[in-house]
Amino acid sequence: MSSNRWLATGNYFTSYQQEQRIFFTSLDRTAMLLFIFGLFIWPFFIHAGNKHMLIIDNILVAVIAVMGLNLVTGFAGLISIGHAAFVGIGAYTIASFARVLGDSHVLLTHAWPLMILLAGGMGAIFGAIVGLPALRLKHLYLAIATLSFQMIFQWVINFMDFFNQGQTISVGRVAWITGQVTRKEHYLFWYYAILVVAVLLGFAVRNLLRTRYGRCLVAVRDNDRAADAMGMHPGFTKVYAFALAGFLAGVAGALHAFLYRGVGVESFTLHHSISYLAMAIVGGLGTLPGSFLGPLAIKVLEMQVEQLSEWASAHLTFAANLATALKPLSFGLVIVLFLMFEPRGIANWWRIVRSYVKLWPFRY
Amino acid sequence: MSYFFQLVVSGVVVGSIYALSALGFVLIYKSSRVLNIAHGQFIAAGAFITYALTVWAGIPIYVSFIISMVLTFFLAMSVERVFLRRLIGEPIISVIMVTIGLMSILDGLIYLTPFGSENFSFPAFLPTTPIAVAGVSISWTQMVGVVTTFALIAGFTWFFKKSTVGISMRAVSDDQLAAMSIGISVPRVFGLAWAMAGLSAAAAGAIIGNITGLNFDTLHAFGIVVFPVVILGGLDSILGAVVAGIIMGLIQQFASGYLDGHWGLNGTGEVMPYIVLLVILLFKPHGLFGIHEIERV
Repeated sequence: MSSNRWLATGNYFTSYQQEQRIFFTSLDRTAMLLFIFGLFIWPFFIHAGNKHMLIIDNILVAVIAVMGLNLVTGFAGLISIGHAAFVGIGAYTIASFARVLGDSHVLLTHAWPLMILLAGGMGAIFGAIVGLPALRLKHLYLAIATLSFQMIFQWVINFMDFFNQGQTISVGRVAWITGQVTRKEHYLFWYYAILVVAVLLGFAVRNLLRTRYGRCLVAVRDNDRAADAMGMHPGFTKVYAFALAGFLAGVAGALHAFLYRGVGVESFTLHHSISYLAMAIVGGLGTLPGSFLGPLAIKVLEMQVEQLSEWASAHLTFAANLATALKPLSFGLVIVLFLMFEPRGIANWWRIVRSYVKLWPFRY
Repeated sequence: MSYFFQLVVSGVVVGSIYALSALGFVLIYKSSRVLNIAHGQFIAAGAFITYALTVWAGIPIYVSFIISMVLTFFLAMSVERVFLRRLIGEPIISVIMVTIGLMSILDGLIYLTPFGSENFSFPAFLPTTPIAVAGVSISWTQMVGVVTTFALIAGFTWFFKKSTVGISMRAVSDDQLAAMSIGISVPRVFGLAWAMAGLSAAAAGAIIGNITGLNFDTLHAFGIVVFPVVILGGLDSILGAVVAGIIMGLIQQFASGYLDGHWGLNGTGEVMPYIVLLVILLFKPHGLFGIHEIERV
């Protein structure tokens, strides 16, 4: 790009390479780097309590999980109603190590980055197994296959002694160069750990989508016969999409396990699968910024709903189970309203704002 | 041996309810190709409305059974009108997601009522001594439930074979364009399919509520176990739904009857349908009676 792209009246790409760049201008790159830098340094200036830090950590874990869901549902067009089960696979990989070796074994406390990768690998294996019907079937049936995986997962955890029948299995505190992470700095430490993983995976996914291995997902979604004619194997591509999603979910699950220092089945139920779907839809299916905006929006909504129901149960007498009622109600409404009125999600608003700014003073 | 026959009897009881629940699901899929994930919530709604009318309003249970079917008929019809009508022509993926959202909304609405958190059971209106034949016993509630279920299934079959509306619904599921060209209103048929599904769901819910008691989680589970049933039956076949429902009931009862308590297994009845489902998806994805239209991709 020779001329100033901010003054250009359109996109004047002369090669596909230019179109595939991550940052179109150095200003874009600087803004992104500054933003990431800001994410790293803000805790030095603003002191957030453990409660708020936990919420932020939660959002970041959800971001990683939703990136995976977005790969399989948004980019490859396969509905997954069992994403929480894949997250659970990652968490229970850590939990089984804690169960066999004791919760403060050196593998868990010192080799935790390796364990996170291993959890991702387990997620990928299970993702590929659940995706196997994709070799023969189209999306309707795959949605049902993921749903049944969710049910089987919940049953296995709930009824097996090895998994403590779904009760919490504790995971020990990890160690860092400065020694064991203490109770006070636990959430701050994991904020940085999860942030690093999220940024790395975000760039990995962004780059993946520029290569043939990511573009084949979109090709199979848009027209699988054309993709077949172009030499891709649609069935294997779908299995591969499930494996990728499983990997990201597994990593998210392992981080969840370390963050909460314990694993219980109540964090990986069908409701959670639906809320991951809600995050992906609200953020915008098939867009990478959507995977970041969706969890943020849904978690903020969740907090507001919790506050509202707390306020209501304090002021109203009949509002006994308002808290349990408002959460699914608001999730459902958000999913339905977004699908009906803004199927491209919040990421589309972001796109509109950007083009508005770019075209100003002309009208969008 | 009488243990075996006892399992067969309870399998047929559970299975016939599965058949009735699956029927509504198949109706929607057959006419509009929508997977209704919220079916369990309609089942629950039917059961709760029946209970509310019977116990709180004091209406005789036979009357309230019919009123709740009528109410759910209109509930499902309005759901189709409000949420799904405007999505006709959208990609199937967003239509399925809307039903997922719908499931969440109905969940929330049910949690607002006392039914979301508490358990209720219908007052006994039938003799409580079970019928026992040669060591195999079946309670009156189960007996009446099975008879009602089969009567309803027979009614639906008659409706689709003989009545004009039923034939037009079959025409739409066969070929929408051809159906339109002979003057059938396709959106109306979609609405009607949802309404009929709601009606059968309400009937199933009321029967389940009488047999097992009203617990939202149990009723909810019936809506999800419908998936293995319809996949086994072949998604768009009503006969398939009925046969597969009974097979699935038998599988479930045999699994929990013979496997539970051995080799440290527990609650196998809950998970067996889903294992069967995964196996079917891998080896015979069009089910027992489905049309072989699934393309290999």
